[in-house]
Amino acid sequence: MTANPSELAERVAGVVGSDRFSSDNGTAKVRVDSDHWLEAHQTLGAEMPYFSWLSAIDWATEVAVGDPPESEDVESRYEILSCLGNVETGELVVLSTDIAKDDPSIASLTDVFGGANWHEREAAEMMGIDFVGHPNLTHLYLPDAFEGHPLRKTFPLLSRDVKPWPGTVDVEPMPDEEGPSTENPEDAG
Amino acid sequence: MTAVDRHRLSMHHSEVQVSVELQTPDMTLNLGPQHPSTHGVLRLIARVDGEVIEEVEPVIGYMHRGYEKIAEVRTYPQITALVNRIDWVSGFANEIPFMVATERLMGLDVPERAQYIRLILTEMARISSHLVFLSSFPLELGAATPLMHALRERERVLDLIEGVTGGRFHPNFNRVGGVKPAAGAGSTQKKVIQDLPIEFLEQSRQAMQYVRDVCDDLKDLVVGNEIFMERTKGIGIIPVDKALAFGVSGPNLRASGVPFDIRKTDDYLPYSNFEFDVATGENGDCFDRYTVRLEEVIQASRIIDQAIDSIPSGELQAKVPRIFKVPQGEIYVRAENPKGEMGYYIVSEGGRGPYRLKIRSASFSNLSVLPWLLQGQLVPDVIAILGSLDFVLGDVDR
Amino acid sequence: MSALFDGFWALLGLKVLVSLLVILNVALVIIFAELKISAHMQSRVGPYFAGGRYGWAQPIADGIKFIQKEDLVPRDADRPVFKLAPMVVLAGTVAVFVIVPFSPTLVVRNLDLGVFYALAAGSIATVGVLMAGWSSANKYSLMGGLRAAAQLIAYELPLVLAVVGVVIHAGTLSMSGIVEAQAEPFFHLGETAIHLPYLFQGQVIGFGIFFIAMLAELSRTPFDMPIAESELVMGYLTEYSGIRFTMFFLGEYAGMFAMSAIASSLFLGGYYFPGLDSATFGPIVLMAKVGLLVFVMIWFRWTFPRFREDQLQSFAWRWMVPLSLVNIAVTATFKVVF
Repeated sequence: MTANPSELAERVAGVVGSDRFSSDNGTAKVRVDSDHWLEAHQTLGAEMPYFSWLSAIDWATEVAVGDPPESEDVESRYEILSCLGNVETGELVVLSTDIAKDDPSIASLTDVFGGANWHEREAAEMMGIDFVGHPNLTHLYLPDAFEGHPLRKTFPLLSRDVKPWPGTVDVEPMPDEEGPSTENPEDAG
Repeated sequence: MTAVDRHRLSMHHSEVQVSVELQTPDMTLNLGPQHPSTHGVLRLIARVDGEVIEEVEPVIGYMHRGYEKIAEVRTYPQITALVNRIDWVSGFANEIPFMVATERLMGLDVPERAQYIRLILTEMARISSHLVFLSSFPLELGAATPLMHALRERERVLDLIEGVTGGRFHPNFNRVGGVKPAAGAGSTQKKVIQDLPIEFLEQSRQAMQYVRDVCDDLKDLVVGNEIFMERTKGIGIIPVDKALAFGVSGPNLRASGVPFDIRKTDDYLPYSNFEFDVATGENGDCFDRYTVRLEEVIQASRIIDQAIDSIPSGELQAKVPRIFKVPQGEIYVRAENPKGEMGYYIVSEGGRGPYRLKIRSASFSNLSVLPWLLQGQLVPDVIAILGSLDFVLGDVDR
Repeated sequence: MSALFDGFWALLGLKVLVSLLVILNVALVIIFAELKISAHMQSRVGPYFAGGRYGWAQPIADGIKFIQKEDLVPRDADRPVFKLAPMVVLAGTVAVFVIVPFSPTLVVRNLDLGVFYALAAGSIATVGVLMAGWSSANKYSLMGGLRAAAQLIAYELPLVLAVVGVVIHAGTLSMSGIVEAQAEPFFHLGETAIHLPYLFQGQVIGFGIFFIAMLAELSRTPFDMPIAESELVMGYLTEYSGIRFTMFFLGEYAGMFAMSAIASSLFLGGYYFPGLDSATFGPIVLMAKVGLLVFVMIWFRWTFPRFREDQLQSFAWRWMVPLSLVNIAVTATFKVVF
C-alpha cells in the first residue's frame, strides 16, 4: 500500500471520532459505534469518496456449516463492514460496526454513497439485516419467494443435510513419507 | 353505442390490444434474460416512451452460485479451484488476490519466480479478456469483422496459457505460496518438478507482437471509423463523482479521467519492477472505454515483454504443508482485474477454510450504476452502453 | 384478335418466366458471393462442404432447408396481412427488373417512362415491410417495422432526386435511352472519340447519393437498423420462418441485383462498353458492372457498424436531400449552358 496502514488507521479514526482501530495484516480497520455509522461515513466521505463494498459477518459460536470459530471469546453479533478508498492516494480503509442479532438494523448509506444501494440489498437478503432508509430493500439475487437468509451461520447447506460435514479429516500420508504436519511447514512433496 | 365503439368491437382481438398499448405513452420493454446482446443472463425491465428510456431496473441473480456460502465449507486450496470461475473470461486473474490474501495471513514469502509467472499469466488473462471486449463491442454495433481478427490473436494467447497451466479459462494454477510446482502424478509415481515449458518465453514474445499488430488493425478498423465514433462518442458518460460513489473501477473509471490503477498503488505482484503507462480517457463515454481498453492491451504486452526479459530463476512455491491452517486474522487484498477492482476480505478463525469470505467483484459495482446511467438514453444506445461497461454475469452474481 | 393474344401473351409469359429465373438464380449467386467474400475478409473460409470444396451448393441447400420448414403463423398475428407481406416485398423488388436493359434488344419491356416506373415499383416494398412489422403482433417486430418504414421513406427522396440529374443529362426517362445517351461520345481527342459514363461526365455526387440511398433502401449495413440483430432479434422479420422468410431473403438479394443494375445503367453506362459490340457483349458488360457494385455493397456491410436511427434520419434530411438538389441545379445549369 502506498500509505502506511497504521498511520492511515489512526488518522481515519481521528476523523470519525473513534478510538478503536487496527492495522493487522496491512488492512486499516476502524471500529465505529452503530449509532454513528451514518455520520462517520458522511464525515469520511469527503476525504474518501470511493465506495468499494459493504457487507456483513455473522459471528456465532454454533454453526450449521463449516468449522466453528476457534477463539473462545467470540461474541454473537453481526458485524457490518464497509470499505472506502481514495483513488488519488490509493488508500483503503475498512470501517466496521457491530449490531445485535435480535434486532439487526442499521442506517442505510444510500444517501451518502449511491453504490451502497445494491450492496445493502445483498447484505439484507443474505443476512437478514434491515437497512433503515433504503429505498428498495427487495431481493437482489434470490428469488422473490425465497425464505431464509443464506449467509447466516444457522442456515444449512442442502448438500450438508444429505451428507454431514466430515469434520477435520486428514488425508492419508504419501507412501514414502510421514503424515502431514500442520505445525511445522515441511516439504509436502 | 358510438361509431368508434362499433368499430372497436369489430376489430380483431390482437388489433385491439396493439392499439390500446400504443395509446399509452409508456411501454414496458423486457430485455433479456435471453437476448443476443446482454452479456449473459441479465434482465433489464425498461419503461420506454417511444425510444427514450424513462426507468430501468436490472434483475440479476440468474447466475448466483453462492460462492460465499460454499467458501465456508471448503479449504483454501479447494477455493482456488472455485474462484477462477467468478469472472470466467479472465480466469487466472481471479485467483491472484485470494492467494495473496491467504499468503499474507500466513506470513509466507512467495518466491520471485513464482510472482513473475503469476504476473505474466495475469497480464495474458487481461489481454484475453480485453480482446473479447474489443471484438464483441463493435459486433453489437453492427461491425462483424473485428470479432474474427481479434479472436484469432486471442487464440494464441489462450494457447500459451494452456501450455503452462493446462487450462484456457480455468487454469487452477495458483497454489498457496506460489504456483503449481509439480506435474501431477498418481500416488505411486514420483512427482516431477516441472517448470515453464521450454519455448514458452519465446512464443510469448512472438504472440505479443501479433497482439500489437491486431491492436493496430483495430485502431484503423474500429476507432477511426466515423460511424463507430458517432455511435459511441458522448454516449453513456459516467461523471467522476458518480463513478466513485458507485464503486465503478477499472477501465470504466479510468475512461472517466481518473488515473487509478491498483497495479500502481498496491504491491500484490511485482509491478513496480516494470514500466508501463496507465491508460486514461477524457470524457467517460463509450468511445473512451473502448480506447482505454485498447491501450491497456498494448501496455499489458509491454509488461509481458519486460517480464520475460527479466524473469529470475528459482523455486516455484514456498514450503507449505499439504493441509494447513491459516492463523486467525482478517485481511482485505484487492487487485486490478481486467474488469476492475477485485478483492477478497478473508476472516480466518484458524481453520482449514475461511470463516467468512467476502468477494468484492468488479462487475457488480460497475453494473450498479446502470439505473442511474440508462435514464434518458435511447434504446439503441442501451446496447452500446451495456457493451461498453464490459461486465460478466458470473462476476456480477458470484 | 386471337393472333394478337397468342403472340403477345406467349412472348410476355416467356419473358416473365425467364426474368424470374434469372433473378432468382442471380440472387443465389449473390448470396454465395456474400458468404465467400465476407469469409475471406474475416480470415475464414466460408462454406466448405456443400457441393465439394468450394461450397457452391450452400445457398441451394439453405433454400431447400427453408422450404421444408413448418409453416408458422403466430396466434395473435393478422393472418392475411402476415401472409401477404413477403409477397408484396418480393413483387416490388422483382417488378423493378422489367425495364433493365441487358442489351439494345434484350429487355423485358422498354418503357418510355422506365426510370419513373422503376422508382415507383421499388417503393412498393416499403408497404410490405410495414405490413410485416405490424401484423406480427410482437413489440420487437413493430419497432423494427416502424424504423424500417421511416428509413425507407426518408431515403426515397435522395434516391429519386439523384436520378433526376441523370435524366436531365440524358433528356429521356427511358432506361435504354439513357444507356444509348451514354454511348454517345463525350468529346473527341483528335480522331478518337472518348466515351464516358455519366459517372465521369459530372454525376459523381449523383452517383454517391444514389449509392448511399440504395444501401438504405435495401436495408444493408450501415443502414440495417430495421433488422439490427443484436438489438431487436430480427426486427420486422422476427416472426417469419420457412418459405416466407426465404421470400424476404431472396427479395433482399434480388433487390441488390435490380438496384445495382439500375445504378449501372444510369451512371456506369449499362450494357455499353467502348469498343465492344453491345448486342453480343451487352449482358456480360452489364453483369460485370453489377458485380462490381454488389462487391462494394458486400464490402461495406462487413466493414461498418450501423447507424442509429436518428443519425440515419438526420443524415438523409440534412445532407442527402440538399446535396441532391444542388446536384440537380448544377446539372441543369451545365446542360443549358453547354
